[in-house]
Amino acid sequence: MKTFFSALLNFVVGTGEALFFFGDVCVHLLKGKIRWGEVLKQIYEQGVQSVIIIALTSFATGAVLALQGYVMLNRFGAKENVAQLVALSLVRELSPVFSSFIFSGKAGARIAAELGTMKVSDQVTATRTLGVDPVEFLVVPRILACFMVLPGLVVFSELIGILGGYTIGVFDANIQSSAYIHQTIRAINFVDFFSGFIKTLFFAAIIGWVCCYQGFQTKGGSLGVGQYTTKAVAFSYIMVVLFNAVLTKIILTFWG
Amino acid sequence: MITIKGLSKRFDQQLVLDNINLEIKKGELLVILGESGSGKSVLLQHLMGLLKPDQGSIAIDGQDITKMKEWQLLKMRKNIGYLFQEGALYDFMTVFENVAFPLVEHTQLKRKDIKDKVKRVLKTVGLEEAGNKFPSELSGGMKKRAALARAIVLDSKILFCDEPTSGLDPIKSRSISFLIKKISSELHCTTVVTSHDIRNSFRIADQVILIKEGKVVGSGTPRVLQDSQDAFIQEFLS
Repeated sequence: MKTFFSALLNFVVGTGEALFFFGDVCVHLLKGKIRWGEVLKQIYEQGVQSVIIIALTSFATGAVLALQGYVMLNRFGAKENVAQLVALSLVRELSPVFSSFIFSGKAGARIAAELGTMKVSDQVTATRTLGVDPVEFLVVPRILACFMVLPGLVVFSELIGILGGYTIGVFDANIQSSAYIHQTIRAINFVDFFSGFIKTLFFAAIIGWVCCYQGFQTKGGSLGVGQYTTKAVAFSYIMVVLFNAVLTKIILTFWG
Repeated sequence: MITIKGLSKRFDQQLVLDNINLEIKKGELLVILGESGSGKSVLLQHLMGLLKPDQGSIAIDGQDITKMKEWQLLKMRKNIGYLFQEGALYDFMTVFENVAFPLVEHTQLKRKDIKDKVKRVLKTVGLEEAGNKFPSELSGGMKKRAALARAIVLDSKILFCDEPTSGLDPIKSRSISFLIKKISSELHCTTVVTSHDIRNSFRIADQVILIKEGKVVGSGTPRVLQDSQDAFIQEFLS
């Protein structure tokens, strides 16, 4: 019983600290204390280096969707609808969630490990001794970069995923190229795109926040860096999945 | 002038600092000696405002820093240099960029003036050739010199050094100790050094205090401490 209450207390305190940390970031953003040079550097490091892995996984996802979709839809004589299935699945759900997972595993882990290493080697404290706020210098640019990079990566992922579906649809399922493109364009309306995109903004904030917070909590040398980085990625995944469920319900309630 | 009154700090059940009272005069070089875990570094972190005490006050030039908010402390720290035990240089910056960082952050100097100033400070610490190197390419002694350069680049009037000789061989320990003494004299800055390196501490200190289990058990000039008849002081110094 004592262990349960102790765990509960730790959870409440931890959540409170994490929220306070996020509040601190928001205060800096509202005050306009943004180091744009650092933000650009982070955009390059988080974005450019995630492009290839996002492209590969998105192409494969689109292709697999088309393969599976073709098998099922062909049973009902509706193989032309593969294009719609691929496009809608990717734009509304798969690209935002999958890209966020990959981004969390790549850029998020990098953020947590970088900040964690800085924490255990006193570089974060050194920032304070140099009269500079570490949240302003190290956290705000990273979170802002997440916010700018992930939506771009998701749109890129959607396009590449659709290309993967097109490749299977046209070259394997023998659907006419013009028909596939026409079906794809007809399938997606603004709400479909918007519902996926708005989720991405939330996911970006979550990944940036969780990974920076875990990085700043790191203790225990190199072992601690490994543990807190793993924690950062695991918490990001869980939060993305949970928020995806909540946001999907809200979006479907309001926009169908 | 730095005045510490009744400073106490507890971590969980362990009393780390126990009613410390101390006065550090302007321009003085004070060495805090003590065994590992005696509370030296914790005391230094309190002086920098990195930790809040459970009791007591610390006044730097009349201002009680224990009552300051973090933004006030950030402002105050611009005037204080702090040398970390392991240097704590930014590993994503070169030595030059590390030393230039406080100037970029807190002064309006032009790029050329920053370059000149950094070169001058690097020369002072004997690292004029290492500006383009990253911290990972430096030896332990060089890292401490680079960190010392970063700590003094704003011509701070107060310098805190946490175990500057730890992990260094006797020759490098002596060299860094004399460098701290030289810088302290040239900049006329109040300097507080924590150490367990008795020989080098006695070479450079104006005043020495000895801490045991969070309490000051001896203080005075190196000569006074050497002549003390206290059993612990004798044992520690032997």
